[in-house]
Amino acid sequence: MNFDTTLFLQALLHRAPGHIAEHLQLVLIPLTLAVLIAMPAGILLTRPAYRRQAERVMSVFNAGQTIPPLAVIALFFPFMGLGYGPAVLALTIYALLPIARNTVAAIASVPEEVKEAARGMGMTPGEIFFRVELPLSIPTIMTGIKTAAVLTVSTAVLAALVGGKGMGAIIFAGIHFFRFELVLAGTLYIGIMAISLERGLALLERKLTPPHLKSARRRGTI
Amino acid sequence: MIQLEQVSKTFRGSRQPAVDRITLRVKQGDICVLVGPSGCGKTTLLRMINRLVEPDDGMITVDGRSIAQMDPPTLRRTIGYVIQQVGLLPHRTIAQNIALVPELLKWPREKTARRVAALLEMMDLDPGEVGHKYPHQLSGGQAQRVGVARALAADPPIMLMDEPFAAVDPIVRVRLQDQLLRLQQTMQKTICFVTHDINEAIKLGDHLVVLKAGRMVQSGTPLDILTQPENDFVLRLLGDDRGVKILDQTRAETLMDPFADAAAQAAANGHRVQAIDPVKIALERMMLMNTDEITVCEGARPVGLLRWNAIKAHVHRISGGAS
Ligand SMILES: Nc1ncnc2c1ncn2[C@@H]1O[C@H](COP(=O)(O)OP(=O)(O)OP(=O)(O)O)[C@@H](O)[C@H]1O
Ligand SMILES: [Mg+2]
Repeated sequence: MNFDTTLFLQALLHRAPGHIAEHLQLVLIPLTLAVLIAMPAGILLTRPAYRRQAERVMSVFNAGQTIPPLAVIALFFPFMGLGYGPAVLALTIYALLPIARNTVAAIASVPEEVKEAARGMGMTPGEIFFRVELPLSIPTIMTGIKTAAVLTVSTAVLAALVGGKGMGAIIFAGIHFFRFELVLAGTLYIGIMAISLERGLALLERKLTPPHLKSARRRGTI
Repeated sequence: MIQLEQVSKTFRGSRQPAVDRITLRVKQGDICVLVGPSGCGKTTLLRMINRLVEPDDGMITVDGRSIAQMDPPTLRRTIGYVIQQVGLLPHRTIAQNIALVPELLKWPREKTARRVAALLEMMDLDPGEVGHKYPHQLSGGQAQRVGVARALAADPPIMLMDEPFAAVDPIVRVRLQDQLLRLQQTMQKTICFVTHDINEAIKLGDHLVVLKAGRMVQSGTPLDILTQPENDFVLRLLGDDRGVKILDQTRAETLMDPFADAAAQAAANGHRVQAIDPVKIALERMMLMNTDEITVCEGARPVGLLRWNAIKAHVHRISGGAS
């Protein structure tokens, strides 16, 4: 099989860019939904009243991660059919675990004596959460969101198989017609999107990270 | 005033009570020192006073009001707490850490800033140098002093201090102890102070409480406990130099022979101590001067003579003639 540069460039410059917006939608909507579900769930699981349930609920999230996205779509096929909706659902379920797991781990790792001191100074549970636990947990939670984002960018390719569009349309067309050029062009964009999203979130993380952790990191790299 | 009435606490999963039927009263303006070996329940007892631990049994009142009826965060904002593990908030600067309680109490910004600077000075920390640092940039001893400053910030009438000077070096520790005593003369706070350093306990305490396995073994003034230890446990806790410690707690006037008349007074020799000075100081001076007696004065007026024999006999008598 020889490489058709013209086809590649045509795919790269004309066919693929049209799918970028679609693909980003397939990433950002499930990612946002996953953050909105998994973060509060993770936070709730670290509250004293629910701490005992943490193990059980996390295993449900774990199970969500082990089901292949296509199987989720097949599972919901009788109710939702094919297309965009089921793809978003499957991708959302897939993105839950890294965010929930990191949220729980982050909040659980806030040192006990720091929380004790905050309590001892007369902070209410709400004040302890928003002024102590959450700021100290931001870096680890953001790591979970970045992981989920990269994961979703690549998994969203599968959406094309069920008529959910996205960059997968190009890649699967390439596979179907043995046009390696199309696959390469699509994959290139997947890579670019994954990296850009990761970098963008890293910038956000830097903005949100409490300053003592930044200076520690800076010192660590010297 | 803090009052504990038959207070007990057994942690879930342990068979021994951590605190066992303790009754205790800390008078307004007093320093009450809880002393005892590791694990005897000092921290637990302290944390029941600000409701970080809820007692299973008994009653705790502050100024006559049962704390069980109070809202815990509100109660805690009126009680300064120096936690044993320091527990500074890692994402806040030192100044922000100290400003924590004033902030919760919604003090004006100006007032808080002035208070923070004053407290840093008081703790021997340079406000310009240390104020904007983060906790991980401090030494253990510096962090501990910030912990004390944070507890003092809103000028609470009650202080709970859990081994606040454990991590500072001996020289700074002595300075901080002296400073606490000096401040206490004007602040008149009600202080519960935990330590397992018996010397610190004797030096700081108006009242000592000796704990062992959750039980109160003995309580009283340092001199009471030094001169009448309840049992072998307290005796061992006091150490090998109990006699010298007693002399440090005994005023020179209590062992002197008062001058019978003006003639004796006039004959007084040149070496002097004050009546309220500890006998230990008198002894030190006598040894330096190589003399067996020293004149005890009230101000400039000689009131008696302190003799080496009287000191010796006193220690011998008090220690029960033990070898
Ligand atoms: N949160 C807890 N849960 C269970 N047991 C506890 C808890 N806190 C303390 N204990 C137990 O209660 C006992 C008293 O502990 P406490 O911390 O009051 O001792 P302490 O006198 O302060 O000791 P140290 O001098 O080492 O600080 C110990 O046996 C300890 O193991
Ligand atoms: Mg302790």
